[in-house]
Amino acid sequence: MRRTFRLIAPALLALALLLALAGCARPVTQAHSTTVFAMDTVMELTVYGGSELLDGARDILTGMESRLSVTAPGSEISAINENGSATVSPDTAELIGDALGLCDMTGGALDITVYPIVRAWGFTTGQYRVPGQAEISELLENVDYTTVSVDGSAVALPEGALLDLGAVTKGRAGDLIAEYWRDNRVKSGLLNLGGNVQAIGAKPDGSPWRIGVRDPFSQTYLGTVSVTDRAVVTSGGYERFFEEDGNTYWHIIDPADGYPADSGLLSVTVVGKSGFLCDGLSTALFVMGEDRAAELWRSREDFDAVLVTAGGEIVITEGLEGSFSPANGWTDEDVRVLRRDQD
Amino acid sequence: MIKTKTWTVIILIILALALAACAWVFLRPAEGQVARIYLDGELYREIDLAALTGPERIEIRTDRGVNTVLAEPGRICVESADCPDRVCVDTGWISRSGAPIVCLPHRLVIRLEAAGEIDAVTG
Repeated sequence: MRRTFRLIAPALLALALLLALAGCARPVTQAHSTTVFAMDTVMELTVYGGSELLDGARDILTGMESRLSVTAPGSEISAINENGSATVSPDTAELIGDALGLCDMTGGALDITVYPIVRAWGFTTGQYRVPGQAEISELLENVDYTTVSVDGSAVALPEGALLDLGAVTKGRAGDLIAEYWRDNRVKSGLLNLGGNVQAIGAKPDGSPWRIGVRDPFSQTYLGTVSVTDRAVVTSGGYERFFEEDGNTYWHIIDPADGYPADSGLLSVTVVGKSGFLCDGLSTALFVMGEDRAAELWRSREDFDAVLVTAGGEIVITEGLEGSFSPANGWTDEDVRVLRRDQD
Repeated sequence: MIKTKTWTVIILIILALALAACAWVFLRPAEGQVARIYLDGELYREIDLAALTGPERIEIRTDRGVNTVLAEPGRICVESADCPDRVCVDTGWISRSGAPIVCLPHRLVIRLEAAGEIDAVTG
């Protein structure tokens, strides 16, 4: 008996030690996080993998900022805007081409040449003002994305037109970082590029990421979406606005009339695989309003959306039915579901 | 016989410790509402808002400028700042995890982080 025990004891001891060490083991891969101040906002990057993956991501962000900023004098976009034409890097040419495709897809609700009007309203500098109708009409003559030409790496604009990729740059940045991390076998990561959220894989325990959807009525979130390998991007009037003579003017301009978009929506959140698409569409759907947004959604398979109406209703597309849940005072009664087969 | 007893005791102690550690990891109560103040991406200060009994004023002075943060039980704000845009002051009080207070010119970020709630917020 004693001999048997003496034989078994070390095995039991080893088992107990193993339990102590491994029983509560956390995921083997360690998380690394960093904060980046770029593109006029604050960004949080988290990767379950080596910290060098954060350095690589930071390089992608600062590289894109120096190429694409509309305010930095040395950027490729500034070169196009100052000279009317320029030869740009392949990545920039590709992004402009893709952005023009998105402008087309949204019927011009997104227009990457609306910058002169945004500037006239003071949203680029913070010196807010309401421009006169004559000024807006004159500036509107140069707002037309179809006049932008991209031929290989040569980009040209007509006189008076200005290009701004601000509506899609953070989205494309998310896609590029996600691609870079996946190429380096990252299974789990999370980007929050100034409110543009992009999830790489699922959480290390395999459960989906829980992303809060910003509430346009308050500083908190109105609900959550559970996602794996998806971008979640919100645009809303609450982001940048000013008040004058009792009117509220926000920074999302309708390229059709040059005034802040007044479509009956307060915010639009787009969920999809492509950060670029979600970024551009969140702005476009905000301009389009619920009916046109629903029409575009039914014609495509590559995104879902959460719309918040001025009437205080949350409208979700049916693809989010299982993954969206209201929070912070919002209930299921505030939520209406858009279906593909309804009119 | 003594040896057997010793082994038994050692194994039982290790098992008990392992179980206790597991229980602590999985069953510990969720953290209270913790506000974390970051400067240029580095954690500068942590304040448990649930544990505060009265207001606490924190002046944060860096090369970039000054922000005065006011923490009260359950909420926090930037009371005043010498940054050009004053977006941080205009944000007002935050009391739930969600959008952070950001002062871009001074690279100051204040987040409310309740454990296990959500991973990120859009917008």
